[in-house]
Amino acid sequence: MSAKNHKNKESQWFGYEKVAPDEKTRRVEGVFDSVAARYDLMNDLMSGGLHRLWKNKFVRMMRPRADRSLLDVAGGTGDIAFRYRALAGDAAKITVCDYNREMLKVGRARAVDRGYLDGFEWVSGDAADLPFEDRRFHLYSISFGLRNVTRIDDALAEARRVLRPGGQFFCLEFSHVKNDLLQKLYDEYSFRVIPQMGEMVADDRESYQYLVESIRQFPKQGELSKRLLNAGFDDVKVTNIMGGIAAIHVANIY
Amino acid sequence: MAISPKRADPKLLEILVCPVTKAPLEYDADKQELISRQAGLAFPIREGIPVMLVDEARKL
Repeated sequence: MSAKNHKNKESQWFGYEKVAPDEKTRRVEGVFDSVAARYDLMNDLMSGGLHRLWKNKFVRMMRPRADRSLLDVAGGTGDIAFRYRALAGDAAKITVCDYNREMLKVGRARAVDRGYLDGFEWVSGDAADLPFEDRRFHLYSISFGLRNVTRIDDALAEARRVLRPGGQFFCLEFSHVKNDLLQKLYDEYSFRVIPQMGEMVADDRESYQYLVESIRQFPKQGELSKRLLNAGFDDVKVTNIMGGIAAIHVANIY
Repeated sequence: MAISPKRADPKLLEILVCPVTKAPLEYDADKQELISRQAGLAFPIREGIPVMLVDEARKL
């Protein structure tokens, strides 16, 4: 099969259910409207609280500096943006772009709570059709977001477009474990425990079921690397976290 | 108070382009819209957040 046939194949999957691409976009939006206020709780459940440490590592790998502008995509609640600001300093220019306005409102309110009065821009936009000029940013990050994008290959091409020469793409996402025993334990946890917890804690089993299924549908490390190269990046490096439960992809443009 | 600004930040308007054509936008301060003439779309600014989604844009 050619790369073209592979293009954006996730656009039809809402978890394990096959749907039209527009339907996927709409239903993912529904998930995040429904979980926006409890988003941290959700991530804590999904990762056993470890997402906070993973995000710290992820942002440190970005080597934050005030003169390196950041576009953080799908980061509405500011998790990555605030970490970047804390390391890069007050002069850092950070743009947060999220499809979902409810998530952005949570992030903007948190910025005010933290005393951040400027340095952040909040924009509602689609990762696959970014509303920014070519070569605008030094860094692009997407953390636990790419999985929910309807057209993944288009999003990668857009990331490539808005990055400057010498720019870097960073993706943190749940990924695929290589060890069979770990895989078994993880499956058990994901498919039995998480939807149950979602029902108990948030009274929303369906959204959590979607999250578990969407992780399994997400491309494996090697495949995502290939698709980054197809999108025009010059090299890709993968760092697995906890045997591949999560992975960080860093792609460079020379 | 800056908690829920009605108007978009002018610095933000500088960095935005039309998501369809990637061309610059015109800012209509009265209607709080960002207009893409080529695409024939007006993108709303809601509670200070520009909504650059084609599905949410008004057709001109």
